[in-house]
Amino acid sequence: MREPAWRIFAAEYNDATHVIQSKEEKAPKYVITPLGAKVNRLFIVGVLTDVEEIGAEGIRRRARISDPTGIHVVYAEAFEPEIASILADMEIPSYIAVVGKTRIYEPEEGVLYLSARAEMAKEISIEERNYWIIEASRNMLIRINAMRDAMNMSNPTAKQLRGLGYPPIIAEGVAEAIKVYKDVDLQHYEIMLREALSFITSSRKEIKKNHEQEEEKVLKIIESLQSEDGAAWEAVIEEAIKEGIEKSVVEEVIVSLMEKGLIYEPQLGKLKVV
Amino acid sequence: MEIDIEEAIDEILESVDVDRETVEKDLRKFLDYGVPLEHAKQAVINKYGSVVKEKKLKDIKVNERNIITVAKVIAIDEREVEVRGEKRKIYRGLLGDETAILPFTAWKDFGLQKGDVIKIRNASSSEWEGQPRLSLSEWSEVEKVDYDIDLIKRAPRKCNLIDLRPGLSNVEVRGKIIYIEERIVNIGGEERKVFSGIIADETGKVRFTAWHDFGLKEGDVIRIKGGYVRKWRGAPQLIFDENSEVEKIAEEIVVQETIVPLYKIVEAGGGIDLYMQGIILDVRKDSGIIFRCPKCNRRIRNGVCEEDGEVEGTPDLRIRALLDDGTGAVDVIFNRQISEKLLGKNMEEYLDIAKEAMDYSIVYEEIFDKLVAKPVKVKGDSMPSDFIVTIFAKDAEIVKIDEKKEAEELLMQLEG
Repeated sequence: MREPAWRIFAAEYNDATHVIQSKEEKAPKYVITPLGAKVNRLFIVGVLTDVEEIGAEGIRRRARISDPTGIHVVYAEAFEPEIASILADMEIPSYIAVVGKTRIYEPEEGVLYLSARAEMAKEISIEERNYWIIEASRNMLIRINAMRDAMNMSNPTAKQLRGLGYPPIIAEGVAEAIKVYKDVDLQHYEIMLREALSFITSSRKEIKKNHEQEEEKVLKIIESLQSEDGAAWEAVIEEAIKEGIEKSVVEEVIVSLMEKGLIYEPQLGKLKVV
Repeated sequence: MEIDIEEAIDEILESVDVDRETVEKDLRKFLDYGVPLEHAKQAVINKYGSVVKEKKLKDIKVNERNIITVAKVIAIDEREVEVRGEKRKIYRGLLGDETAILPFTAWKDFGLQKGDVIKIRNASSSEWEGQPRLSLSEWSEVEKVDYDIDLIKRAPRKCNLIDLRPGLSNVEVRGKIIYIEERIVNIGGEERKVFSGIIADETGKVRFTAWHDFGLKEGDVIRIKGGYVRKWRGAPQLIFDENSEVEKIAEEIVVQETIVPLYKIVEAGGGIDLYMQGIILDVRKDSGIIFRCPKCNRRIRNGVCEEDGEVEGTPDLRIRALLDDGTGAVDVIFNRQISEKLLGKNMEEYLDIAKEAMDYSIVYEEIFDKLVAKPVKVKGDSMPSDFIVTIFAKDAEIVKIDEKKEAEELLMQLEG
């Protein structure tokens, strides 16, 4: 059976301190998070903020991907040169999706560094990123509810949780998590989830609303500033700020215009209307 | 003490075929010599050789040996396993009597058939999913008897159709007959009528076979008690026969398009008319423009068909993608028409792109870029495959959501 790819926020994944593996040969390892995710494979989505070369040969890459709760660390190993080069070629920042296997580094007993070893990496759109946040949130809410149900049982088992309708993989993970994590602070995770969701409901709302106006303004600015080889990125931002657009919004708008194919980057740091 | 001795004598008598007086005399002799009661008891049994008595199935516990019982074969399945690198056929199924039903494994071919009533000697028991399982080995003796025995009436297990798994027995389901046809099959030289078709409830659809004429027709809503589930073409198939109870019921069943979590499809091994939703996490390398043999429609490579030799291939567009919903993963095959719908481009446009680039792999790359990380809803049937459950799509669409609305709903659930 192929292990499913968990949509899991960085903060919950990185909070995990427990790993299980059955005794069979080549049995998969699972990271058990405090909310009972039983993770062998992850589907990570966020903003690529940083890519660095590691190792002597310089083929391996380490990337950081930021989501509304924290940072996923992702490795492209030497035997996956295509993924390393995708990461190296991607602009920073940009929206990225990665499928990866859990990567567990335990330098000493009780100290666990969790990351992911990438099997697939791809630049994605903001819609795909938002869809992921919704899915990751929905799945997290199921685990919060399952964990609360388990806390109300005198001796919770995976079978009992399945009886309540939770999928087997969640039932197993929650039954395991409640054994090893004492008194999981559900409120902490509820706040985390609320913040992740308001990332979509509130802050995005205004940008979305003004998007068209801002886009038109920025397009005009680029048109007025551009020469043969385009307009300097910094100059465009400066001009836009003068017209009352916030810096972060200008950057969003530029990315959006490029995605729509209305402007392009003829050379690094220059923008030109198509 | 006297009571203990009396009890010990009773116990010995259960195992040996000697009269009470002799047993008592022998036992007291050992006790007079100072042998502890437990040892003395065993010594007397050993002296006469244990005559094992027949047991009812409910009295069989885990890890017993030397079991003698009479039981009816309720179900039997053959399968090949590898034991120390050697392929062997084993037989698994269910045995029943008036007291219990137990699973069994036979490690050699005793020529057992469903419905046989057999006397078993020298069987053993082990534990399987918390209950005893009978094991018939090389050294077990099995003989058919010429009388019938009653079976215990167990309450059947109620299931939704989507939860049927190959290997389940004694299930109770309800559903509406969507399609039914009659066939004549030849079993051991005897012609039998069988009825097969599709039955549906609110959770999904499943193929069925009825080995008995229950007078069913399309549109009937029925309840079946005592059916069992087998695997057919990789998907569960419901089977019922003269031992099952089938009744028409006056219930309305509205067949819906319910999205099934992928772990259920993976557990079942497949199914028909399945609705699923997930994210495409990979596009397999054999996707894109392919060429088919105009005679046999097989995929050809480098202008050569395995069957028909060198041919002028007909182009086709197809995609095999990995769909994952966070609970499980399946492969989905999209034909040309569905691929064109998902990609928003038709095959001719892709042929032009490939010709211009003089490279067909450019089509694969575009498909990968367009589809990976996209949420997709798929309707389809499973098809037999070895590695991963594979769905042949009958329809598919990219999922669009109102993310703000979804986020607000989740926030509300969080407050509630």
